[in-house]
Amino acid sequence: MYRQGIEDFPYYVGVKSLADIARKGDRVCVLNILGGESRQVTPVSHIFSGGNVVFGTSPGRRGQVVKTVAGDIPVYNNVREGLNDGHKFNTGVVYLPPAGVRDGVAELVRVNPDLEKIIIITEKVAIHDAREIRAIGQANGIDIFGANCLGVADSWNRVRLGGALGGDHPEESLLKGSVAIYSNSGNFTTTIAQYLGIAGWGTTTLISSGKDVYIHYGAKEFAYALARDDRSKAAVMYVEPGGYYERDLDLTKPTVVCVVGRWKAKLTRAVGHAGAMAGSGDGAEAKEEWFKEKFGVNSLYTPDDPVCSERGAVVTNISHIPDALTAVMKMSGIGPDFESSGSLSLKAWVGNGQQLELPPEIDLKIVEAPAPYNEQIAALSRQIGATIPRQTMKDLSGASRMDPSTQITSVHGFSVLELSQKPLEANFALPLVHEIAGENDRALLDVAVAAEVNLVGDPVLAAAEAAREAGNAPNSVMAAAASIVGPGRVERALKASRALIDLFAHSGLLDPRDENFDLSMIEVDADTRALFLADPDDHDPRPEDMLAAVRNRGGKSVFLKLIEGFEGRLSRDGILAAIAMTIAWGPLMRKKISRLTAETLPWYLRLYGVMIGASIPARHHQHNSLCGIPRKERFEKWTMADLAFLAMTGKKPTAEQALPMQMLIGLLVSNGPGAISAQGAKGAVAADGPQTPGRVQINKCMVGFLTHSGYSHGGNGFEGMDFLLERFQSEDLKDPTDPDHGIDLRAMALEYARIYKKEKLEAKELGAGGPRALPGVHHPVFKGKPVNFDPRERFLAEYMEKRGDYNIFHKFYCEFVQALYDVGATRYVFCVNVDAIIASLLLAVLWTDFKSGELTKRDLETAAFTVFLYGRMIGAAAEIDDHLNRGKNMDTRTPAPDCGFVT
Amino acid sequence: MQVTGMLHGARLLRHVEFPTAEVLGPEATESEIQALIDRCGSVFVKPVFKGGVGKKGKAGLVGRAKDLKTALAEKERLYFAEHRHGNAHAKAHGVTFEGAVPAEHEVYLSITDSTVYRAPTMVITHMGGTAIEELDKELVAEVPFEALTGLKAFVVANALSDIGAPREIVSPLVQHLPKLWELVHHYGMTTLELNPIRMRPGRDGRLTPVACDFKCGFDRDDPRWHRLGMPEHLFAADYSDFEREINQLRTYQGQSDVFVINDAGTILAPTFGGGANSLVTEVLGDDAIISSDFGGNPPYEKMRDVASICFKHFLKQTNVLFIIGGKSNNTDIYETLRGMADALRDYFSKHGPTPLFVVIGRGGPNLVRGMGAFSDTLDSLGLPYRMFGFDSAISEVVNYAQQVDGWMKVGGRQQIAKSLGLDSAA
Repeated sequence: MYRQGIEDFPYYVGVKSLADIARKGDRVCVLNILGGESRQVTPVSHIFSGGNVVFGTSPGRRGQVVKTVAGDIPVYNNVREGLNDGHKFNTGVVYLPPAGVRDGVAELVRVNPDLEKIIIITEKVAIHDAREIRAIGQANGIDIFGANCLGVADSWNRVRLGGALGGDHPEESLLKGSVAIYSNSGNFTTTIAQYLGIAGWGTTTLISSGKDVYIHYGAKEFAYALARDDRSKAAVMYVEPGGYYERDLDLTKPTVVCVVGRWKAKLTRAVGHAGAMAGSGDGAEAKEEWFKEKFGVNSLYTPDDPVCSERGAVVTNISHIPDALTAVMKMSGIGPDFESSGSLSLKAWVGNGQQLELPPEIDLKIVEAPAPYNEQIAALSRQIGATIPRQTMKDLSGASRMDPSTQITSVHGFSVLELSQKPLEANFALPLVHEIAGENDRALLDVAVAAEVNLVGDPVLAAAEAAREAGNAPNSVMAAAASIVGPGRVERALKASRALIDLFAHSGLLDPRDENFDLSMIEVDADTRALFLADPDDHDPRPEDMLAAVRNRGGKSVFLKLIEGFEGRLSRDGILAAIAMTIAWGPLMRKKISRLTAETLPWYLRLYGVMIGASIPARHHQHNSLCGIPRKERFEKWTMADLAFLAMTGKKPTAEQALPMQMLIGLLVSNGPGAISAQGAKGAVAADGPQTPGRVQINKCMVGFLTHSGYSHGGNGFEGMDFLLERFQSEDLKDPTDPDHGIDLRAMALEYARIYKKEKLEAKELGAGGPRALPGVHHPVFKGKPVNFDPRERFLAEYMEKRGDYNIFHKFYCEFVQALYDVGATRYVFCVNVDAIIASLLLAVLWTDFKSGELTKRDLETAAFTVFLYGRMIGAAAEIDDHLNRGKNMDTRTPAPDCGFVT
Repeated sequence: MQVTGMLHGARLLRHVEFPTAEVLGPEATESEIQALIDRCGSVFVKPVFKGGVGKKGKAGLVGRAKDLKTALAEKERLYFAEHRHGNAHAKAHGVTFEGAVPAEHEVYLSITDSTVYRAPTMVITHMGGTAIEELDKELVAEVPFEALTGLKAFVVANALSDIGAPREIVSPLVQHLPKLWELVHHYGMTTLELNPIRMRPGRDGRLTPVACDFKCGFDRDDPRWHRLGMPEHLFAADYSDFEREINQLRTYQGQSDVFVINDAGTILAPTFGGGANSLVTEVLGDDAIISSDFGGNPPYEKMRDVASICFKHFLKQTNVLFIIGGKSNNTDIYETLRGMADALRDYFSKHGPTPLFVVIGRGGPNLVRGMGAFSDTLDSLGLPYRMFGFDSAISEVVNYAQQVDGWMKVGGRQQIAKSLGLDSAA
C-alpha cells in the first residue's frame, strides 16, 4: 500500500532529480532541536543554507530559541504548535533518541500536509520501528533519508539538510562541481568530498544514506535521480556489504564505486553499521562483482593496475577514488572541475621522536599544515614546558607515592632508597626538575645553596635566633626564618629566570651546559640586563666568589656565560637565576616540567640555604666565615652533606661521616602525600589558591610543611637514639663503627629483653595499658611471619655490609629482636624497622662528640629532628611544586558533612 | 544474537500460542522421556547449541529413538556434540528430546526483513524440511507485506495459492501463521525460521501446524526482546569479557561498538566512524586487536572510560596505539583526544610505563586543540608519536601505522622500552 510517486517505481519515490534533494526553498523543522548533537550541528546547517530552519521542537521548552548569526530559531513543544504559529515547512529532520524516532515520524506526517521529506539522523533505530517508518512513508508519499545518516547537502544550492555533512565548516568541503556522492558512511561522505576537492573535482549533491538494514533512500533511487540531474556529470558511491540495494542498478553516468568490507565476512556481529552484515550473496565481494559487471571491467582499479571503463571503476580503497574518477572521466574527454590543490600524501602536522633512532620512513618530517591550522599549531609550539591539567589534589600526589607492599616511597620515580645512595645535592633539584642532577649540575647546586647559608647581618638570623632562644623546636626555628623569605626577597631572581626563558625559548638551545652555543643571536636589552646586575650600593661579596667557585669546580652554564658577558657587577640573584635555569632547562625543553616550575626554582634553592643556615646558631655566622670555615673554601669544596654535618655538629665531616649523613637525609626525603608534613605543605598551597600561581607564596608553603612536623612526626627520631643511649650508657664504647668493640651484644639484648618481658606482664596484670613502646622494632605492615623484615632496613643493611661499614647500634637492634623472641616476650621475631637504622646511623655519627660532652642529650634530640627536616624539606618542595601546578584552589578542604562533633 | 533449537524456541512460540512439538530439556528424567516416547511413538534427540547454528553441517547431529535405551544412548552421543561450518564453531551443552509429529506435509516458513523489497517478507513453501535453495522457484513464495498491517490471513492464503499448496494445509496455516508476525514484530526479532512445520492430523481430520524446529535472530538495538524473559547466559557466549565491559557503556551518546579481531594483535586502533572502521579493519587485518567504532561525539567521560577499558585489556601487548577517523562531522576532537590521553596517563600511573608508538589521524572541530592535549601527555610520558590531519589520505595513515608496527617488531619496541627506563620490552 503506497502512494504512487514517480511512475517508474513500484513503491513511492517523490524526488525526481538530485537537484531536488536539497533546494534553496526547502524549509526545515528539527525534532529534538535542543539535543546534544543537534545543538551543535543545526546552527551550522542553518547558517550555511542561508537560514532554512523555520522552527524546532523540544517538549517542555517552548519559548526557547536557538541563537544563530543567521537568525534565531524558535522552539516549540511539538510540531502542531509551530504550525499553528504560522510556520510552514516541507522537510523534517529527526534528532530524537532511538525510541522516539518512529513517533516523531508519525507526528510529522500526521500533522503537516506540506511534508515532502524526512531525514532521520538517529542511529540504532530498532528494526521494528524502521519497518513501520518505511510503511508510514510509503503510505503517505514522503521521501525518507536515513536512518543513521548525516543528511543531505547540495554544493550548488549551498544547502545542507539534517546532519553534519562537511563538518563545522561545510563551505570548505562542499565545493561546486560535477560529481554526486552517495555514501553508506556519513563520515566518509565528507572525506570523499574533500579528497575529490584536492584532485580538482567539485560536487553537486551529497547523500549520506546510512547503513541500517532499512536504507530508506537507496541506491536505486539515487541512480534514477542522478540520471535526471543535468549538473551531475559523474557519481561516486561508497558502499558496504549487506543488503541487495546495489544489485541491478541503472547507472547512466560514469560512476566510481568504492566497496569496502571484505573482512566483514568473518564477523558474527555488526560493528557500527547495523546493516553491513552480509548473509550470503550480498557480501563485499558480491557487490564488487555487480559493479564490475555493470562497468564491463574484470578487476578493481588500483594505482598499480588502473582498470576502468568510461562507465566506471570499482575501488576498495577510499584514497583511490579521485584518481579513478579522473581516469574514468578522461575516457569521455572530461577533465576535472578546477585546478587540483595539494595531495593526499602523508603530511605529519605534529610529532616527536623523543630522541630515539627512528628509520627514515618512520621519522617523517613535520610539515606545515594548511591555514588556519598552521597558526594554531604554531601557537601550540610557542608554549614552553609541560601543560598539566588541574584537578582536585586532596590526598593525591603526582610527585610521591608509597608502595603499599614494601612501604617504600618514591619521589618522581626514584625510591628513597635510591636517593639515599646519591650525593645530597643531587636530590635537591629532584623535586622540581624530576631528574637526578649530574656532576655539572651538582657543582652548580652546591654553590647556589652554599651562597644562601651564611645569614650574618640578616634579620632572618635574628628571627631564627630569637626563636631558638625561646626554646622553640628546630622546625619552628626554621619556620621563623622561612617566613621572612617572601616574594620581595626573590622578586628579582624570579624576574631574571623569566627573562632567561624568554630569551632562549626559541633559540634552539637544548643543552645548557654547551658553552659553545652561539650567543650572538641572543639580544638582551638594558632593562633585562639590569635584572642580573648588582645595585651600585650592594656590597655583598658573594657573587664573585660564586662565579669563581663554579669555574673551579668545572661547572658549565651557557646562562652564566651570557651574563658574565654583561658589563657590570653581577648580583647574587642573577647568578642564582642562571644556575637554576641551567638545571631546569633540559626538562623544560623536553616538556617534562612546566614553565612555572622552572621559573620558581630559585625560590626553593634560596629557601633550602636559609633553612639550613637558620639551623646553625647565630654566633657561628660571621662575615666571610661560617663555623670558622672561610667562604671561599665552602663555595669551592664543600658539598651539601658537608654543610648539613657542619650545621649539626659545627665541624666538617670526614668522608666516613659524610656518607651516613647523606644516607639519612636521602631516606627521609618523603613518606608519601599522606604524611602530616606533606599535608601541611599541600594545604598551604591550596589555601593560597594554585589556580593563580603568582599568588602562592612558596616560602609560606614551606612553613606549612615545617609547622606540620613535630615531636611525634619528625622529631621522634630521637626516641630511638634515647633508647640506644639507655642501653649503652654503662658501656665503654669508643667507636661505634669498630667491630672490635668487645661488647657482648647478645647478652645485652637478652638482659633487656627479660626486663621488657617482665614489664609487659606487670602492665598486663595492672591493666596499665601495656609497657612503653619499643622504638625501632616492629611495623604494622611487616609482621606475622616467623621472622620479619622491613625491606628498607634490609636494603640499607645490605648496602652497609657490602661497603664493609659496621654500626654497633644497628647490630644491637638485630640481636634485640631475636632476644625478645627467645625470652618469649614476642610471639615471633619482630622486624628491625627503618627508624632503628636512622637512629643507629645518626647516633654513630654524633657519638664521639656526645661522649666528650661537646653535645648534650638535648643537642642529640635537636640533631635527630634537624636531620629529618633536612630530608623532608626536599619532599616538601616536591609536594609544593606538584600541588602548585596541578591543584585547585582550596582543594584540601574536608567538606563539612565529612566532619563530626564530639562532646 | 540468535537462538537455535526447540529448547527455547518452543517457549518463545508459546508466547503467541503457536503449536509446537513436545519438548523436554537436558534435565528430563527417564520417566519423562519414556512418557514422551509413549505419547509420540518416538523422539528426536537434538544437541542444544548457543547462538546461531545453520542447517549446513548438521548431518549426523540428530538422533532418533523409539525406546528409552536408544534415547539415552543418543543423549550421551550428542550432549557435547561439535558443529563446524566456515568460521563458526559451536559446541553443544545438552540435548532436547522432541516428540515426533506424524504428518504428510511439511512446511518451510521464514519471516525476515528483505532489502530487496524493503519490507518484512515471508518465504513459504509446502516442500519443507529440505534446503529451500535447491527447490524449484515456482514452489516457493516470497511475499513482502506491509509492516503496519502485518501478516494478514489473505497474504498467507494468496501465497499458498500461488505455489499450488495442497488445499488441506491452507486453512490451518492461514489461521496460525499470522501469530508469528506478532512474535517477530513485537518481541524484537529480525528473522524467524521454522523448518519444518509439520501438519499434524487431528481427531477430526483437521490439520494443525506444529513447529518442529526453530531459529530466530534478535535486533540488538530493540529492547523489546527483554519481554520474553530469556536467560542472560543465552547470549553471553557471543561476547568476550572486553566486549561485555564496553557494552556496559553503551548509550546512544556515541557508538562504542567493538569486536575483538585478534587478541594477540599488536595494533590497538580506536576508530571513529563506521566507514573508517571498515577501511581500517580491512587494511590492518590480523595486526589489529579490535575493530571498533567510537564515533558519534561521545562525551569526555565516556571516551575516557572506553579508552581505559581498551587499555586495561590490551595496552600491554600493543606496539602502536592508532587513533583514526575521517574528518569528523560533529565529534569534538578535543574532548575525545583529551579523554583518551587522560586514560593513557591513568594507565601509566597505575601500571607503570609500557613501550608504545602513537599514531593519530583525524579531522574535525577543535582538531589542533586535541592534538595539543595529546602531544602534551605523550611528551610528559616520553612516548614517540606522529599526528596527521585530514589532508593526509586515511589509507596512507593506516599504512604508516602498519609500518611503525613493523619497526616495533624488529627492535623499535626495545628502543622505546630502554628510553623509558624499563628492563625489558615485554
